[in-house]
Amino acid sequence: MFLAELLDRTGLDVLDHLDRQVTVPVIDGLQAQGDLLVLPLALLGSVPGRRDWWALPATGRELVRGEAGNNPHTLVADPGTCRLTTWWRDPERLAVAAFENTAPVYLIHPEHGGTGIAPGAWAVRRQREMGAGFRKPVLIAD
Amino acid sequence: MSASRRPDRRPSEISAWSKHAFSTDPADRAAAEDAITRLYALLGEPPPEFVWVPSPHAAVPHLPPPQALSLGGPLPPEARLATRVAALRQRRREFPPELRQTIKESIAGLVRAAIPQPWGLHWYGQQDAYWVTPDSGDPELELWATLVRSCGWWWPREGFCVVAERPLAIRTEPSGSAYRLHSATGPAVVYPDGWAVHAWHGTRVPSWVIEDPTADRINQEYNVEVRRCAIEHLGWPAFIDQAGLKLLSRAPDPGNPGCELELYNLPRQKWHAPTRLLLAVNGSVERDGTRRRYGLRVPAEFDHPLDAAGWSYGLTGAQYAGLRRRT
Repeated sequence: MFLAELLDRTGLDVLDHLDRQVTVPVIDGLQAQGDLLVLPLALLGSVPGRRDWWALPATGRELVRGEAGNNPHTLVADPGTCRLTTWWRDPERLAVAAFENTAPVYLIHPEHGGTGIAPGAWAVRRQREMGAGFRKPVLIAD
Repeated sequence: MSASRRPDRRPSEISAWSKHAFSTDPADRAAAEDAITRLYALLGEPPPEFVWVPSPHAAVPHLPPPQALSLGGPLPPEARLATRVAALRQRRREFPPELRQTIKESIAGLVRAAIPQPWGLHWYGQQDAYWVTPDSGDPELELWATLVRSCGWWWPREGFCVVAERPLAIRTEPSGSAYRLHSATGPAVVYPDGWAVHAWHGTRVPSWVIEDPTADRINQEYNVEVRRCAIEHLGWPAFIDQAGLKLLSRAPDPGNPGCELELYNLPRQKWHAPTRLLLAVNGSVERDGTRRRYGLRVPAEFDHPLDAAGWSYGLTGAQYAGLRRRT
């Protein structure tokens, strides 16, 4: 799928300097979009329970918003192909969601464009860095 | 402010009305004084004496300290004006939220934050454009619309009114469907008396961040946001060079072909946990075709850039090495 087609289907937008005539690859493995990392659920020791999964709505779902509410990472999929949960305990406390999909789902971001995620079971984590002083690490918001 | 949903109007099509919020013309003093005098008259007040000032900062010495809340007794004119404004705002049409974000939060809010003194009630003249609707047919709202067209901020008080000139320059950049203050070459907002506000991509910063960022000043700065802006302006490579940071190791960035991860030693700082600096390259190009570099502070226990990059996502270096793609 071309980026232009993906944007048309979802009603989302990216910055106009990004090439819309590129094919959005569908990746079956670890991948990063800015400050978000998509990783196979199997890579984590902790797996979400069976409860509190819900279908990804047709309008998609914003996983993270950047500083001042800008630059959301939005997860979109064809209806009925993806369910997700935000209720589980990641031992590293970086996860924002986990999802299972039976068809490719896409992550769209205004500055990073789009990327596809192959069918499977995935977790989404944020990035962190050391905080000032001796405080705990802080999450990155780009 | 939504950067994702395609807005009804393109960012470039900010309406002619909201352009008044960005006007840098000298105030139309006669029109402003007439409208304010009429607003005083609606409160049953005689015409005030006008004090014109060249910037909001210059208004400070003219203003009495804000009054404590008084129960009973007559309310001052500015409090009664605020009551009328609240009623007016209930009758008006809604503007798109990005207009409010741009004008009230991103511009007026940053200028206001540059002045630490408490002020009591005041209005934003040209920058009340986010709630005042033009051509409403409501005579009271029309007075506010006149102020949007003719002057800067103003402070009505008993018997007198302080009114500020408009800025000489307001420099912004698009941010999603709104705008924010930004200038890499000088003040983002500057008034006729030279009083100025500097901003880096929407964050208010001291003037040195824009005009003369150096590694020395950055290392002395306590505020992490200000440090981040200053390093971005100076550029990570120049910061590393000026600060004399020592490269410990480098490695290809998996998933980001042709780009390297670099790990630097950071000097030990008192009261800070020992950290190192991981320098990475963005997976997506900027508008100018370059890729931005960015630094992350990581625990000092890592000697290999892959281990440090893995830690930032809660992974081991070996797991992170399996990264297929970065955008």
